[in-house]
Amino acid sequence: MEDTLTIAGRSFDSRLILGTGKYETFELMRAAVEASGAEMVTVAVRRIDFDEPREDVTSFLPEGILLLPNTSGCETAEEAVRMAKLARAGGLPDWIKLEVIPDPRYLLPDPLETLKAAEALVADGFTVLPYMLPDPVLAKRLEEAGCATVMPLAAPIGTGRGLKLRDSIRIMIEQAEVPVVVDAGLGAPSHAAEAMELGADAVLVNTAIARADDTVAMARAFRLAVEAGRAARLAGIMDEQETAVPSSPVGGTV
Amino acid sequence: MTTIVVNGREQAVEPGETVARLLDRLGLGGRFALVERNGEPVERDRYAEVELASGDRLVVARPVAGG
Repeated sequence: MEDTLTIAGRSFDSRLILGTGKYETFELMRAAVEASGAEMVTVAVRRIDFDEPREDVTSFLPEGILLLPNTSGCETAEEAVRMAKLARAGGLPDWIKLEVIPDPRYLLPDPLETLKAAEALVADGFTVLPYMLPDPVLAKRLEEAGCATVMPLAAPIGTGRGLKLRDSIRIMIEQAEVPVVVDAGLGAPSHAAEAMELGADAVLVNTAIARADDTVAMARAFRLAVEAGRAARLAGIMDEQETAVPSSPVGGTV
Repeated sequence: MTTIVVNGREQAVEPGETVARLLDRLGLGGRFALVERNGEPVERDRYAEVELASGDRLVVARPVAGG
């Protein structure tokens, strides 16, 4: 059965999006991206340090993969809009992972500035994928503003704590009319599977793969978990029961 | 020669030097370079025609690994 993810009219066979940060080498990053099957990866945008020229991350990415620039490092809507415009003018796609994060301890996004930036970027023709706390009301507002997805965090970035905000994400999924991408905080493949079983349309993973002992094996594990979680969601997961229900015939015991 | 500022540092440029020429001289020819001139983003297909003027302030950025 064909089961594609569609974001802003573009189809994806993979429901796993990868971040490219924190890998020990770009070669490891590339191998992990290939093993994951991801068709979209995030990149950040930073000033070039002419004293310390580094290799170009984009030259290590598989041909045809969609680059999703993020606005990490931006603390206000104004900064995020400026960074998005710089990225697009310089030849990156007009898709943007909108992050407006004023808080360095928990890296939680500012909802008001995120909405403000989203409105400005949508008006300017961007395809906007906003990183957000899983607030179902904010999700509706972002959707109404024209965002292509909503991207709630499972737990703070880089913590690997799993679906700590599960109930709020569940309500978002129930109400969303755009794809819900669970982004941040997924530490193990089981967390990704859980998000997909809950009905998420995709997940975005970085640290859990980049910091694994074997990054390529972990990328493959996440790929399988996302596929399993999605398949289970489509198959229909049984309702929980309060008491035991035997799986073997009740009568006829010898 | 005139002087501009690139990523906060003074940089000498030839009169009429274009963004593309400057990027070449900085060793960025053919690489991903995102350019903002005096607070306004410069479209990539205009790098070869936009001429730098004395006192210009440039930000040169690029994609890096990130989540």
